[in-house]
Amino acid sequence: METFELKVADQHGKVAVLEVAGYINNEGGEVIAKEARKLIDAGRHTLLLDLRATRIINSIGISLLLEVLERILEVKGTLAFCCLTPSIAKTFQIMGLAQYTRIFPDRATALAELSSGQ
Amino acid sequence: MAEPVRVRLVLPRAPRAELLASRAVEEAGQRIAFPRDTLAEVKLAVVEACLNAIEYGTGEVEVEVIAHPNDAHPWIEVAVVDHGPGFDPSQVPRPVLEDKLRSRRKRGWGLELVRRLMDEVEITSRPGMTRVRMIRRRGGE
Repeated sequence: METFELKVADQHGKVAVLEVAGYINNEGGEVIAKEARKLIDAGRHTLLLDLRATRIINSIGISLLLEVLERILEVKGTLAFCCLTPSIAKTFQIMGLAQYTRIFPDRATALAELSSGQ
Repeated sequence: MAEPVRVRLVLPRAPRAELLASRAVEEAGQRIAFPRDTLAEVKLAVVEACLNAIEYGTGEVEVEVIAHPNDAHPWIEVAVVDHGPGFDPSQVPRPVLEDKLRSRRKRGWGLELVRRLMDEVEITSRPGMTRVRMIRRRGGE
């Protein structure tokens, strides 16, 4: 049921892409936060979370994403999301996340804009 | 007019139990051809209500989903009941992202999401019983 998986898809470019699949709850959020901390500590300050395979998220998972965002802001990096379902996009909009993160419709657009520094 | 689709379940106090309620909402909503994207928002709201009930309640968490197949205006009603100590909804602060980013406690979004994802939310709470009743209409906000 909504098995969680995380894969770091791009280890070499300017943008580190985290492909997330499944339910982002406390467990999934912890996995993302742990991987994101490792990437940030290694100097990767632009993270893109591709949520195309995530259909459901809860507020505990989101609170763990806020920890990632806090750390990213400390290093003046960028946290971005792409491929959000309409319901997850609405959740992010309710929380005001667009003010502090970048949200893209698809990964190609995200990588083009984040890589060029736009 | 077709009869409403009713689903009642008792959630186990177990990890991911909230997804059982989410599945019940999906099943009931599909049976009345409720729009998929709107149904997804109801599912998120119900997950949040169930998480609160599991976290703050004690004993069983009861969920009732009623999908009303009104031809032009189908709507979904969900009630989540727990038997915890109860709370005063008016005392729950509305979360502000800027404050949360500065705070060690980043949680506290559940009730806000329930209120914003549903069209109507009614909370009845006293010691021993909290009931969150939520309604979402087709084409709501």
